[in-house]
Amino acid sequence: MEKVLEVKDLHISFDIHAGEVQAVRGVSFDLYKGETLAIVGESGCGKSVTSKALMRLLPTPPSRIKQGEILFEGKDLTKLSEKEMQEIRGAKISMIFQDPMTSLNPTMTIGKQIMEVLLKHQKLSKNEARNRAIELLQLVGIKNPELRIKQYPHQFSGGMRQRVVIAMALACNPKVLIADEPTTALDVTIQAQILELMKDIQKKMGMSIIFITHDLGVVANVADRVAVMYAGKVVEIGTVDEIFYNPKHPYTWGLLASMPSLDHKDEELYSIPGTPPDLLNPPKGDAFAPRNPYAMKIDYELEPPMFKVSDTHYAATWLLHENAPKVEPPKVVQERMRQFALSSGKKGGEFRG
Amino acid sequence: MARYTLQRFIYMIITLFIIASATFFLMKLLPGSPLTNQEKLTPEQRQIILEKYGLNDPVPVQYVNYLKNLVQGDLGVSFQYDNRPVTELIGERIGPSAQLGFQALVFGTIVGLLLGIFAAVRHNTAGDYAATVISVLGISIPSFVFAALLQYYIGVKLQLLPVAFWEGFEYTIMPTLALSMGVIANIARFTRTEMLEVLSSDYILTARAKGVSQAGVIFKHAIRNALIPIVTILGPMAVNLMTGTLVVEQIFAVPGLGEQFVRSINLNDYTVIMGTTLFYSALLILVIFIVDILYGVIDPRIRLAGGKK
Amino acid sequence: MNKLDYQNLSPELFQPAPVNTSDQEKINRPSLTFWQDAWIRLRKNKGAIAGLIMIIILTLMAIIAPMTSDYSYKEQDLKRAKLPPKIPVLENISWLPFDGKDANGVDVYEQRGIKEYYWFGTDDLGRDLWTRTWYGARISLYIALLAAVIDLLIGVMYGGISGFYGGRVDNVMQRIIEILVGIPNLIVVILFILILEPGIISITIAMVITGWVTMARIVRGQILKLKNMEYVLASRTLGATNSRLIFKHLIPNVIGPIIITTMFTIPYAIFTEAFLSFIGLGIRPPEASLGSLVSEGYKSIQTFPHMMMIPAIVISLLILSFNLVADGLRDALDPKMRK
Repeated sequence: MEKVLEVKDLHISFDIHAGEVQAVRGVSFDLYKGETLAIVGESGCGKSVTSKALMRLLPTPPSRIKQGEILFEGKDLTKLSEKEMQEIRGAKISMIFQDPMTSLNPTMTIGKQIMEVLLKHQKLSKNEARNRAIELLQLVGIKNPELRIKQYPHQFSGGMRQRVVIAMALACNPKVLIADEPTTALDVTIQAQILELMKDIQKKMGMSIIFITHDLGVVANVADRVAVMYAGKVVEIGTVDEIFYNPKHPYTWGLLASMPSLDHKDEELYSIPGTPPDLLNPPKGDAFAPRNPYAMKIDYELEPPMFKVSDTHYAATWLLHENAPKVEPPKVVQERMRQFALSSGKKGGEFRG
Repeated sequence: MARYTLQRFIYMIITLFIIASATFFLMKLLPGSPLTNQEKLTPEQRQIILEKYGLNDPVPVQYVNYLKNLVQGDLGVSFQYDNRPVTELIGERIGPSAQLGFQALVFGTIVGLLLGIFAAVRHNTAGDYAATVISVLGISIPSFVFAALLQYYIGVKLQLLPVAFWEGFEYTIMPTLALSMGVIANIARFTRTEMLEVLSSDYILTARAKGVSQAGVIFKHAIRNALIPIVTILGPMAVNLMTGTLVVEQIFAVPGLGEQFVRSINLNDYTVIMGTTLFYSALLILVIFIVDILYGVIDPRIRLAGGKK
Repeated sequence: MNKLDYQNLSPELFQPAPVNTSDQEKINRPSLTFWQDAWIRLRKNKGAIAGLIMIIILTLMAIIAPMTSDYSYKEQDLKRAKLPPKIPVLENISWLPFDGKDANGVDVYEQRGIKEYYWFGTDDLGRDLWTRTWYGARISLYIALLAAVIDLLIGVMYGGISGFYGGRVDNVMQRIIEILVGIPNLIVVILFILILEPGIISITIAMVITGWVTMARIVRGQILKLKNMEYVLASRTLGATNSRLIFKHLIPNVIGPIIITTMFTIPYAIFTEAFLSFIGLGIRPPEASLGSLVSEGYKSIQTFPHMMMIPAIVISLLILSFNLVADGLRDALDPKMRK
């Protein structure tokens, strides 16, 4: 498969008065053409920072890309000038943000905001841009687009605004669409609609999507591959089936176990004990060790490398080392795994919001 | 929106009425009489004058008459300036004050905006600090100190500009500068804060994610949104300018309303004090009223939300 | 570390290491109270610290200087009138205006055979300006503090009651405020000074009459906001009494904005007093305030600029310092900026 984007050993730090916060500590992943890669993890695990770094949208200072490469179309995005980045942003890589209520300019009409990106990147006349904006609004399922382009964001509902944001992101047929929790701020029913829309558009336009979320239900619904992040690192990456049916990292187990399910009403919901580490002083060894019921002595000494599980599946846990004792995932996860296996031909189980 | 406008309008009228009444009764409590400074008058002449202006009537009667006249736009006559109507005195003096205020407002707003935007865009750099220092100084140095310094150094020492009086454009430069100092400082501070807030908002990130250049982000997206709240400080700004004209006109001997007001205070010229006070109040209240309404017009969120109702 | 090393790890390392549950919730950073945190941030603000130091110095001078001076603030002596400033040691530095020479370079002290040093010179009645400047600073500070404290008391009470009880009480109280806000401050102040004879108390009263409204509005706004915060509702559902709610939950959270507002009131009051003096409604001689000194000095600015410059510098420094500290406090106490 063709690689569209390649992230290699990305390190990002924020210099604040208390010291250096190592928000991203060596993230690597590839993005293939036409696929959806989900990046999941708790708040503060560095998933949003990673996604903004891909677009070079982090304010510098305080942020700084310490090392690593972001390869896109043969160029290292970390080395490009601001001017060169502007040519890429919105045209080749575009982004959708979490809160549609605040991500549109309140004093500019929807039409102008969509046309702006078209006029910036494509040689269009104003009229052509307007027609294209109307087409785009139609594409994202907004009725009466001729009328709607003259309206301001506050005249749209949250879901409709997110559709507008998507239209804006798609305007120049980007190769990569980064969606930073695009459904988190929306109602469950609207969430489902937006997810359907995104899948639909991906089918039509064939771009790759990086989907940032903390909601495993959404992941199961949209993703082809999943990267699980913890404390600024990718701890497990694999196809959606591998992550859901055959997770290897105890953190992934914890995440899966804490996912609510309609079939188990009386069961107490599992929660991962403790809190994520302070990235101002990242701990020695495996950052997850203090919260890991399967922790071994080595977890406090050495950072685990990425162990290969299959060609597409890697996990960073010492449990995969040949010397490690054989452990069984928690019962809940085992059961859940079985349950996922049972749930019909649907890839990755059904969407549960 | 119409309902809101009406409500604001009613408040404006009530406030004006209260100020008018308060002014009247406070003047009645004043020590000394309007004729204190006119010792030449015989007791008979005194009586005639008091009778003529109804000053012998019971206070409630005077009050009703006063309100009646007020509604008709009659502010009474001055006791010190040859019995001339107060409205005429105000009309004569308003020109220079208005010109001064207008020049200071325009100049101060332009410089203040530039300074504020510059500081926000260069956040946390030497340029930002310099702009911040200028605006803090502008807020802290009283306008009369600034005016006196200008007059002494530029007028007296360097003799670059006329020291005082009102005989042409070059005479307006120093008073305008002195008056605009506060405007510059206030607008710059406000603009900087607003710009910083807007620049860190989500839609600016969206605009940047669309590939809009730094300049495009600032001019197309940030400034308009940052400027909307600036309308709200126009009220305090008007007060600021008014206060400023009182002293700046004194210092530069500008024949304006402020200079006349200060003189009438020192002469105990009741009717002029009352009339000018009312005039100033009405002006400021009107500004606040307009600002309130304007805010709704500029911001599409308020405009359209109101329009639907 | 290369692949080979991973193969050769001692099996010992793969012993289970039980999770230390007490460590899980350990907080790595020292926990700071709100005030400690605010103080740390205020300390980082160079402007605010400079302002604070300046306020302390100017206040100490205002208290001590008139007491230790050899001259009283009202003692007149026409023989020593209109002397330029002369300060020992500094008089030898030619570019400083403390050499006792007037605008024409004549050493007035020598000319008139005066042996004493008048550090800030004297005014046209021969009163010592060093004493008068600091005495004036004392009066200006006194008026400003008094006005700020009274504003605070009335404003907090009015705003607190209005916000806390809400409903009809709030409605009526707010209508009153809305009308008062429409009345231009300065007009009221001028009118009141006209009736009350100019003096410390009447100036203070005149400023307070409209000044408390700002404080009342801010306190009410805060209380209204806090009242509906989940933690206050939670406390209420747990059966907390009104007084507990007010003292434990509301007051500690309103105190930041109150302090900030007070800090902005003080320089405004200093300015207002000076302004009144300048238009002839301020403190009357022989009493002095910084405003009246500037105003008196202005009359002879062309011949004796020092008479105005010195009090003008002191008053500007004072207002500047308070503004800097107020700005710093606002940044330090604003929880929005907390990271």
